[in-house]
Amino acid sequence: MRHTHCTPADHRFSRRAFFGAAALGGLATPAFAEALRKERRQVLFVWLDGGISQLESWDPKPNTIFGGPFRAIPTSVPGIHVSELLPETARQMHRLAIVRSVSTQDNSHSAGVDRIQRGDPKNRGVVYPYLGSAMARWLGPGTSGLPPYIWVKPMNGGFIYKDAGFLGPKYGALALGDGKPPENLLRPADLSADDDAERNELRELADKRYAEKRKADTTEANSYAFAMAAQLQKRVELFDLSKLPEKDRDRYGSHDLGRHLLLARRLLEEGVTFVKVTSYGWDTHGDNFNGHASLVPKFDKPFAAMIQDLADRGMLDNVLVIAMSEFGRTPRINGHLGRDHWPEAWSVCMGGRGIKPGVVAGKTNEKGTDVATEPHDIGHLFHTWFRALGVDPEKQKYYNATQPLPIAHEEMHAVTEVLA
Amino acid sequence: MKPPKERGKPIAPPCQITRIRFSPNGKELAASCVDGIVRRWSVSDAKPLPEWKGHNGWVTTLSYLSNGDLLTTDSWGKLVCWKDEKPRWSIAAHEGWLRAVAIAKDRIATCGRDGFVREWSTDGKKRFETKLGIDFYSLAYSPAGALVVGDLFGRMHVLDSSLKTTREFEQKEFHLLDRIQDVGGVRCLAFSLDGKTLYAAGCQPKTGGFVQAFPLLVALDFATGKALWSWKGANDAEGIVHDLRVFADGRLAAVTSGQPGQGKFLLFEPPTATPAFVSTKLPNCHSLDIHPDGKLIAVSGTNANSSGNGRVKGKAGEYPENQSPIQFWDAE
Repeated sequence: MRHTHCTPADHRFSRRAFFGAAALGGLATPAFAEALRKERRQVLFVWLDGGISQLESWDPKPNTIFGGPFRAIPTSVPGIHVSELLPETARQMHRLAIVRSVSTQDNSHSAGVDRIQRGDPKNRGVVYPYLGSAMARWLGPGTSGLPPYIWVKPMNGGFIYKDAGFLGPKYGALALGDGKPPENLLRPADLSADDDAERNELRELADKRYAEKRKADTTEANSYAFAMAAQLQKRVELFDLSKLPEKDRDRYGSHDLGRHLLLARRLLEEGVTFVKVTSYGWDTHGDNFNGHASLVPKFDKPFAAMIQDLADRGMLDNVLVIAMSEFGRTPRINGHLGRDHWPEAWSVCMGGRGIKPGVVAGKTNEKGTDVATEPHDIGHLFHTWFRALGVDPEKQKYYNATQPLPIAHEEMHAVTEVLA
Repeated sequence: MKPPKERGKPIAPPCQITRIRFSPNGKELAASCVDGIVRRWSVSDAKPLPEWKGHNGWVTTLSYLSNGDLLTTDSWGKLVCWKDEKPRWSIAAHEGWLRAVAIAKDRIATCGRDGFVREWSTDGKKRFETKLGIDFYSLAYSPAGALVVGDLFGRMHVLDSSLKTTREFEQKEFHLLDRIQDVGGVRCLAFSLDGKTLYAAGCQPKTGGFVQAFPLLVALDFATGKALWSWKGANDAEGIVHDLRVFADGRLAAVTSGQPGQGKFLLFEPPTATPAFVSTKLPNCHSLDIHPDGKLIAVSGTNANSSGNGRVKGKAGEYPENQSPIQFWDAE
């Protein structure tokens, strides 16, 4: 029987590289560290929750009935234009790709977020993993010593095991509420290291006894959360953005999204496999244009800074960057001067690892009401991202116990125009 | 006050409207539209007059000069002066969205998302400019010639004749930072006839994104900046005051637009803060104007069923555009 979560092949690189290097005495050398860094496969997933308007971002339609008030501006790639609300990202276009032919199935948040982030596969009676959990599964934890799937978000944090679906809790997300480490992470000052170790031994013993009478998945989540906390205890300095140069903080901005993207950069630099950054409040049913005039620049500046920084550090060869929402927004402008939910024809921006830079795939019609080329569902995008990261959806399968499952919708394929 | 009465059926322009204004002689009504067109109608029979084209993006607002020339602005920054059916002059007044225009005797003021306030002569020559670096929404000249500009953060900047800031009022209720979105702003400004009271209107936001907000009107003592009285809508679905006009007898007229289907046409008799008249017949109102004779009011709203997620279809199966019907009201 195949193991549910991983196969020996999944660890082939790290084991061979590790022991090979150790045998040569090269484990601690900068060259070895650099070699490891080059082998990393990572993802930055920027989630603009509620739905950024494609017309006020990646697919502007100026001077059309639904085009809104904003202009389109040229980018660093001749012939490609984006909304004037994205001036900084426009300068990074030669490092990015836009898919303008996204057409998905759900126009409600409750269903849309789940379906989009799980890749909307065919229903096989199992809950598929979110993209972050899937990548934690396929790309592994890397060498950071940190959890493979970290979610930086406003408000509360915690261990979000539901993201993992049938993969099991250890592929869940560690959510850093407001970009901070989990509360009570550090050992209290009045508790000695020895006492702490003793307590943990006792806890582990209790966990073991508890687990003997229950399903492994139920107890695994609990143990894994403690293990993650122990990992994070050693790296609390990561969360202290005040030690970063002021210039960096200015470039990313002092608002939530800027601070969280800056933390994401640090986590990626440390080698975390999948970092999701969520910004809430993009559901602009009312006052859409003033809303986007306020919101989009707060995405544009830190996102462009991130792309520049990843490029400067040579990390775009390793890190796949994705910026998206659960859907776009209606071309029609409602009476509240808002735009409603629109899965029919919208856009996703991506770049970095495995992505052809400076291209646009697909297009919408003149008014932006339909995809005018081959429509691409989220399944197409999952194929694209797996391929970009060197995971072949035609060859790889999940195993839910003995049940083989495709890793992306088997009737869809990658958007080859954006693959490098 | 006798309540106004609807006059006939609404005019049905083929698109959405940002602003309507009567000509000084009262014979025409002009509308700035989101399809980049300036539309006009004869007031006597509501028949359409020739359209004016040449703008980009949205035609954001319009205002008549006392000689009957019409100023129109757009979201790409252009300011056009129309005379006898043709542009008399046209200038690139701002970088991007030109938000508001105000007119004094021999001066025109404009403000935009670019953070500039500019003043022009009536032949389109720039007189002064000032950069405050804030997203402005509204402008008004006092009868004595002081210029006030309202911003996103609920502040009103009083500028002198060379556009230097002399005073600043703040009404924090007009602004909310919700997550990363700045919501609200002073959307409309108007002076009482004696110039002693400054009316500021917009909303008290409750959330960003969806934008739930209470419409808000505040009357300020212009000498001190102190609030004299205010009116706030009853619930957060009612939205934003989008336009505000002062009658020759001192009454106030305002329109609001909130969640789709929510919108009001209101009349006030200052200093009474409770509206003397409220109509909710026409949903999602974005502009109004008072005829020079004071006996006719035009209100632009939005068609019913203007919202909907996903592919809403019109009667013929097409993807529909929304429109801004204009209703006339007889007032006394």
